[in-house]
Amino acid sequence: MNDFTSLNQERKKCANYVVIGGFLIFVGIILFMLGDVISIFGVIFFIAGGIVAGIGAGKFQQIKYRFKNEYLKKIIQDVYQNSTYDPKNGLPMARVYRSGLLKKADRFHSEDLIRGSFEDVKFETCDLKLEERHVRHTKNGTQVYYVTYFLGRFFEFEFPKSFKGKIVVTEGAILTWFTDLKKMEMESVEFNKKFKTYSNDEHNTFYVLTPHLMESLMDLERQNPGTIACSFDGNRLTIVINNNRDTFELKLFSEINEMSIISMKKELEVIQNIIEELRLNRNIFINKEENI
Amino acid sequence: MKLVFLSLGNGSIIAIVVVALILIIVFWYIGVMNRLRQLEVKVEEAESGIDVALTKRFDALTKMLETTKGYAKHESETLEKVIKWRNGIPSDASLQDKQEFANSLAKVANGINVVVEQYPDLKANTMFNNLQNSIMDTEEHLQAARRLFNSNVRAINQIIVTFPQSIVANAIHMQKKNFFEAEEAKRQDVKMNF
Repeated sequence: MNDFTSLNQERKKCANYVVIGGFLIFVGIILFMLGDVISIFGVIFFIAGGIVAGIGAGKFQQIKYRFKNEYLKKIIQDVYQNSTYDPKNGLPMARVYRSGLLKKADRFHSEDLIRGSFEDVKFETCDLKLEERHVRHTKNGTQVYYVTYFLGRFFEFEFPKSFKGKIVVTEGAILTWFTDLKKMEMESVEFNKKFKTYSNDEHNTFYVLTPHLMESLMDLERQNPGTIACSFDGNRLTIVINNNRDTFELKLFSEINEMSIISMKKELEVIQNIIEELRLNRNIFINKEENI
Repeated sequence: MKLVFLSLGNGSIIAIVVVALILIIVFWYIGVMNRLRQLEVKVEEAESGIDVALTKRFDALTKMLETTKGYAKHESETLEKVIKWRNGIPSDASLQDKQEFANSLAKVANGINVVVEQYPDLKANTMFNNLQNSIMDTEEHLQAARRLFNSNVRAINQIIVTFPQSIVANAIHMQKKNFFEAEEAKRQDVKMNF
């Protein structure tokens, strides 16, 4: 059993800072609205509240990193031996974009990078946040703001065998434009309803997307709310899940306990499930015989 | 534009509408005909994919039987019977012939599986294991080729049986294509656990 007492005590302190800061900001706004001389106090309260809340948030950020380094790292290594975990960094932009599944962002943020292997299949996974820059022209001037179009998880699996051609399977609208790929219809009506398949090699699409794999992709989609897209290219399978969630993050107002650990373990099991469900360790992914 | 129409008589307007309708029908007819021809080419392409997969499977099984000489005599004899296609599938071979060929190969593969169970020393042979993986891979490719072929057949058959496209299909004497069926023996072959 893990002892989270000291972490919870510090988390509560941070929460208190944030609550007090929020209250001061609220009082500041009220005083400012009353006008006259009192509005000066409003500004003072507002600034003080901002500073107090900022200190709380900053300290909580440190607690999050402490938790990740002291606890999460061990949990990850328990599940995947010889794995590495870097809470502050993710995969570089070039690696994320090379699958072609995601369009280039104006603001790119990646963290919680896990590297390891399971049943001889190497994997890398990280959290991703991609934002698009928007400009709004109003009578008061020009406003620049960012809209998040992807917040979720990025997975890349590497197997010993290389395939000819490229296959992209996406749920819903495709985020980038593949000029070299043609839309394909698989024999499963249900799969075609759920996913769109694009490829530049028809035979290999049917070779890789076996009925079992199609069924597994549909199961994966059911287990992971959000939008899923995947690409088979060479010896790599890339999966992106846009579920509007920042994985492995503690919540300021939620207690850290064994349940938090269980839910994080579940997040980690997704990697194992993908390898087992999609049977990435099966014959066609590990056989070194040449393709026809 | 409005003035041009006003200056035309009723007869001219009817003639223009009729010509426009005829043109629409002609373009639609050509469109459907081209689509059917394109799909027919895709079906032929997919059938040649089956030929390639069958040849690869035949070659892999031949190599396997050379390795297991003395162990699998019956399987060697079965393969001898289908050896007429040793140098590739003939261009005039029907889909039915290919199905029978695939069926024979599946029987040989299943037979080898039974033989392997009787001689555990074969299982330990690295070369034998590589060949078994190769046979499994050729089977996966054959399944893929079959599914691609059937998918293309399904697409063309849907047009052939759907009204009004069926009118065009009849006019160019295009008939429903046959599917390449997976026989039970082959399904079992895919599930082989070596």
